[in-house]
Amino acid sequence: MIEYALFIDLMLGVGAVITAILCLAIRDLFQSILVFMCMGLLVTLIWARLGAWDVAIAEAAIGAGLTGALLLATRRRLMQQDKS
Amino acid sequence: MEGSLYTAIGIAMFGIGLFGVVALAQAMKKILAVNICGVGIFMIFIANSTAVNGSVDYVPHAIVLTGIVVAVAGTALALSLVCRIYDKTKQQVGK
Repeated sequence: MIEYALFIDLMLGVGAVITAILCLAIRDLFQSILVFMCMGLLVTLIWARLGAWDVAIAEAAIGAGLTGALLLATRRRLMQQDKS
Repeated sequence: MEGSLYTAIGIAMFGIGLFGVVALAQAMKKILAVNICGVGIFMIFIANSTAVNGSVDYVPHAIVLTGIVVAVAGTALALSLVCRIYDKTKQQVGK
């Protein structure tokens, strides 16, 4: 008899840790930022699982979206000035 | 049960982020690692905000909600500093 709640908790937690490791292990910065945004979405699911709905919504909007947009804009600016 | 599990996961993510801060050379990767540290700390807060009998304490939720906004502001400051250093010295930090 598998306890499904514990199974879901374990999958979400191990996924968050693996994406955190992968975000720092990948060499390419663009892929690293995309993996970071995926980690933000997974952490959003964890906080919905823990019952913090307001924190989950704020993380989905700010932590995944706005931070990812800032990082991508900075990377694009650095690459553009590198080429010119 | 799940509170202690997510506490352990938050501690693990804080350790991963701290290792990234001291071990990586690029400035952008260091900023990502600091953000991962922050996510670990917030996870410890939220996991310990539920009591044993099921009642939820909402003060850590409010603190974490404030902390997310402050973390985004600090990230924007750090990224603007990276851009400014590149404008002044014409080379990226640690690359």
